[in-house]
Amino acid sequence: MKMRVTSSSHSGLIEWLVQRVSAIYLGIFLIFLIIRFAFWPIADFDAWRSWFDLSWVRIVWLLAFGSLLLHAWIGMRSVFLDYIKSFRLRLVLTLVFASGLLASAMWVIDILYGQSG
Amino acid sequence: MPINNNNSVDKTLNRPVFLNLLVIRLPVGGIVSILHRVSGALLVLLTPIGIYLLDRSLSDPGFFTQLQASMNQGWCQLAMLLVAGLLIQHFFSGLRHLALDIDWGIRRQSARITAWLTFVGTFLVLVAGGVWIR
Repeated sequence: MKMRVTSSSHSGLIEWLVQRVSAIYLGIFLIFLIIRFAFWPIADFDAWRSWFDLSWVRIVWLLAFGSLLLHAWIGMRSVFLDYIKSFRLRLVLTLVFASGLLASAMWVIDILYGQSG
Repeated sequence: MPINNNNSVDKTLNRPVFLNLLVIRLPVGGIVSILHRVSGALLVLLTPIGIYLLDRSLSDPGFFTQLQASMNQGWCQLAMLLVAGLLIQHFFSGLRHLALDIDWGIRRQSARITAWLTFVGTFLVLVAGGVWIR
């Protein structure tokens, strides 16, 4: 394969791979959620809470949000690169978006593993 | 996705660019690709709402009960169907792109068929979901 010539120090292969691995995890996670809630509906608050008391459930959700945020990052970065022609605007948007994703990640960690959770 | 495989950068600089999306007639695969991006971007914007709902529903029993009750209301079901539509569209078109990556359905005829199938699949799952929550 011929590599494209850019000023970037890497080819983007890692992004390509992360996007696909996260997509596969999210797809399986979505099907898992649909089956879980369709066949064993959550009755009330206590059932909902105690489901999240299981450590494997929290791990599965954490990995899902990790995949989601990485997937969103790579996807939105491509969208910005393709459609926002102004470098300054793109820089600002990318930074704002990156901050939002980092904040979201910490929020999710706090929900799943925080003191109050 | 446009990948510039050309080694000479000068050649691409002089090439005319015509990307008026209102005038270009995209093939159906292109429409699926654009919709994948649109649904993806909208889902990203909705993610904070999802995290908020997860947060409140796990910490506040009253909020959970309220949420459960509102799921029976028409406007809430409509909103859920719209979000589900975005998610399912993104899921099916993403599945198609993964398949194309490993050369499944890469020929023009089959690529067109699978592009149409993403619409059919999204529609069918939405109808099934609508019947289910009714």
